[in-house]
Amino acid sequence: MLFLLLSVLLHVNGDNVQFFYDRFLLEADGNVRVTTSDGMTMTGDSFSMDLKLNRFVLAGHVHVQDRAGAQDGAALADFLDFNRIYFVPILRQAQDDKTAARDDGPSPDRWTFIDGDFAHPAKGREMPGDTFFFPDTGGAKPFIMTDSATVGSRSFVRFGGNHLDVANGLGAYVPTPSYYVNFSDDQHLGDNSLAGASFDATDQLAGNANSISAVHFRYDPTNKTYLSFEQHFSGKKAYAVFSVNPLTRQRKFWDLLTSDRPSEHFQIRTFTQLSTFQHGLSEPTDSGQYTTVQLTQALPRSFLQLNTQFTNYSLLTPVSDIQHRHPFQAQLTAQTFNNRIGKLPLYESVIYGFGYQHDSYGLQTIGGNTYTSIWQHNLGIQMYVPAVKIGNNPNDAKNLYLNATFQKNRTWNSAPHYIDTTQTSLSLSKTLDRHFLAFASYSVQNTGDYYGALQSIVYPSYVPVVDGVADPGYAAFNGVATFRTLSVDVNYSNNGNFAASLLARKHTDFPKPFPGLFPTPVLNILGQQQLANYLGEPPYDVTAEVRARINSRMSIDLARSYFFNYGGQRWSPAFVIQVTQ
Amino acid sequence: MQRALLCVFLILSLLGAASGGVTVTGQILDYEKGFLFLASGDGFKVAPNAIIVNGPPQTRRYARVTFNASGVVTKIEVSRSKLAAEGDLGAVRQFAVSLSTPAPNPDLAPSRSISRCSLTRAGKLVGLTITVQVPPGTGPTDTIYMTSDQSAWNAQAYRLDRIDALHYRTTLKLLSGTVLHVLFDRGSTQSIQVGENGIEQEPYLLCIGDEDAQAFRAIVDRWGDEQNGEPQQIPQALPTPYNPAPFPNLPTPPPAPRPSGLPD
Repeated sequence: MLFLLLSVLLHVNGDNVQFFYDRFLLEADGNVRVTTSDGMTMTGDSFSMDLKLNRFVLAGHVHVQDRAGAQDGAALADFLDFNRIYFVPILRQAQDDKTAARDDGPSPDRWTFIDGDFAHPAKGREMPGDTFFFPDTGGAKPFIMTDSATVGSRSFVRFGGNHLDVANGLGAYVPTPSYYVNFSDDQHLGDNSLAGASFDATDQLAGNANSISAVHFRYDPTNKTYLSFEQHFSGKKAYAVFSVNPLTRQRKFWDLLTSDRPSEHFQIRTFTQLSTFQHGLSEPTDSGQYTTVQLTQALPRSFLQLNTQFTNYSLLTPVSDIQHRHPFQAQLTAQTFNNRIGKLPLYESVIYGFGYQHDSYGLQTIGGNTYTSIWQHNLGIQMYVPAVKIGNNPNDAKNLYLNATFQKNRTWNSAPHYIDTTQTSLSLSKTLDRHFLAFASYSVQNTGDYYGALQSIVYPSYVPVVDGVADPGYAAFNGVATFRTLSVDVNYSNNGNFAASLLARKHTDFPKPFPGLFPTPVLNILGQQQLANYLGEPPYDVTAEVRARINSRMSIDLARSYFFNYGGQRWSPAFVIQVTQ
Repeated sequence: MQRALLCVFLILSLLGAASGGVTVTGQILDYEKGFLFLASGDGFKVAPNAIIVNGPPQTRRYARVTFNASGVVTKIEVSRSKLAAEGDLGAVRQFAVSLSTPAPNPDLAPSRSISRCSLTRAGKLVGLTITVQVPPGTGPTDTIYMTSDQSAWNAQAYRLDRIDALHYRTTLKLLSGTVLHVLFDRGSTQSIQVGENGIEQEPYLLCIGDEDAQAFRAIVDRWGDEQNGEPQQIPQALPTPYNPAPFPNLPTPPPAPRPSGLPD
């Protein structure tokens, strides 16, 4: 609320009010009337406001009215951030006979109002050179055409009944009842709690400096087309986002994100998701919920973080035993900052965590013992070498850059096993010219799940048979896997308007992939693989991706992978198409 | 006909020049009460018999303005499109009418603490290359984006291209004078970078200067969705039960005895 009090509200009306989204320009022409929250009313022929610079100019037959009186003039510019109003009044000489020009009739002057003191203008003061310039919008089409707008300085602009360019610059206007644009530096008004989507057109129906209400028109390959609703609130130290997605499908996710930062060194973040299956808003046929809470405490050169998660598989009367479960997990982690080792181009960070898992249904059964609770702790180290130049050519395109990372983590569990994960990667990159760059990388991930004497019980050796074909190699797998990936990537970009990349990878894994043996991991909602390494990954893949900027606010991204007929699979199931705004 | 008009126009211009007149081009701010105001804020007396070409002088339009030797406007040629710079607006300022004696503006005095933004000549299209170093735990297939107040903090507004194991890059065309607040993320609000101490961080402030090619480099210490050094994604479904094995997609085990609780 304090922010609202500090910011100035401007109400702009005119025959033709336009908003240019790419330059954050609000332009108005014809019978323009501007009223401000501090009591000024101004009329004129044309108005222009640069929302980012937080200043406006009104010109042409200007009439200004405030508590101190009224005055006509040629132009007025208000630099809101600096509390300076520059005015070109047109005075009758009798109004200022001491300094009047010596001929008859009206005469212009230059006045500067300082810090809102309208009774005592600084007369004749030099003004900044571009004070009264109107921007040249050329042939650009406005994003919004309307007859009124309300501006919250440095935070938002809200339009009344308007025509909105749904094609973002192509001039396909559709009428909408209202529209709101946030341009504040408060990133939390842009936070969203929705899942990803291939296409998302957002209609921000209402809002002010601290809140936004928005309806999203979306498409994704799983839900197809649907609507979602999202409500944002944001303050100086806290924010909350609520959403229903997809609002027009039976399977709905009701999400609530919150965050509070009581001090510069402590933050609480929560996420709660309610899942329902229901027609409209009728009584759901199933409903579940989970909540995560994250507390972070900054410490000297390190921080502590507590993550908890509570799941309720059914909020309705359970229909099976499994729905009585209420799994809970918590983990307390301490992590150091990245420290440079001596003067070497080598950095390290250490992490230690302590965790607890509970599920009354049972988390794991080993040797006849069912574990409903598991305690664990882990110790990890990260080391990396960022961008070491190889070569000393003044032409940077002729040098190579080396990057290397190493991560090692061991997790000890109260159930009798520990897990080791070691990841090493090395890459060489080269800028070929202004547009092309290429890199090659080699990475190795070793993952081992160690049960000691119980190893062969947990990971028994057997020869699986898939569609009548045996895979004897799998018999050697005893819970220790290795994933080796060689990647070559060539990238082209043209000033952000067009980018294309070609990534070729060879995976040499153990256990070896065998078509049909390993279940395919769950893809995300856009059809993309979420895991960096997984058992059964096709040995070769090539991914091509093209991204083009359609206009100043919209890009389209197309990607597809080819798997060289591994298990009969040539192309990834579908193009990944994403339109971003 | 057009050629004839052009000839007349040139002859009149030459006559104007010969009679000591001055011609400038500029943007019109206002035309009223016998004065023409240009975007410099200066008001010039217009002769009662001044020639006005191409419609009335209106705010936003451009004009080629001819002054006589006394500094009175004798001709206004109005244009809807921007005109090439002609004449010296500074030189005709001597003809501007103002009741008050010009006074210096202390706000305009050079300041040592003046920001780069305030020194920039705004409106020039320039290239900005953004390079970001990501945490070593960033997955090789992760997609990195830049979010900014220019895009209403859309977490997927500007995608960056991977250039090696630890760096991503993009090049944008922006207008000089643009002030940007930016952060980097992995495509979702939850993943927006946090500070080295795990607490959310203030956005970077970028002021786009007027050099043709500019660069900005940033280091992401950790992602907002990292837990215990590992990425954690908030699922759009209820979480799957805890998996004690590090392999999420082991094949279906044989019917022989095998501990339960391990994934199917």
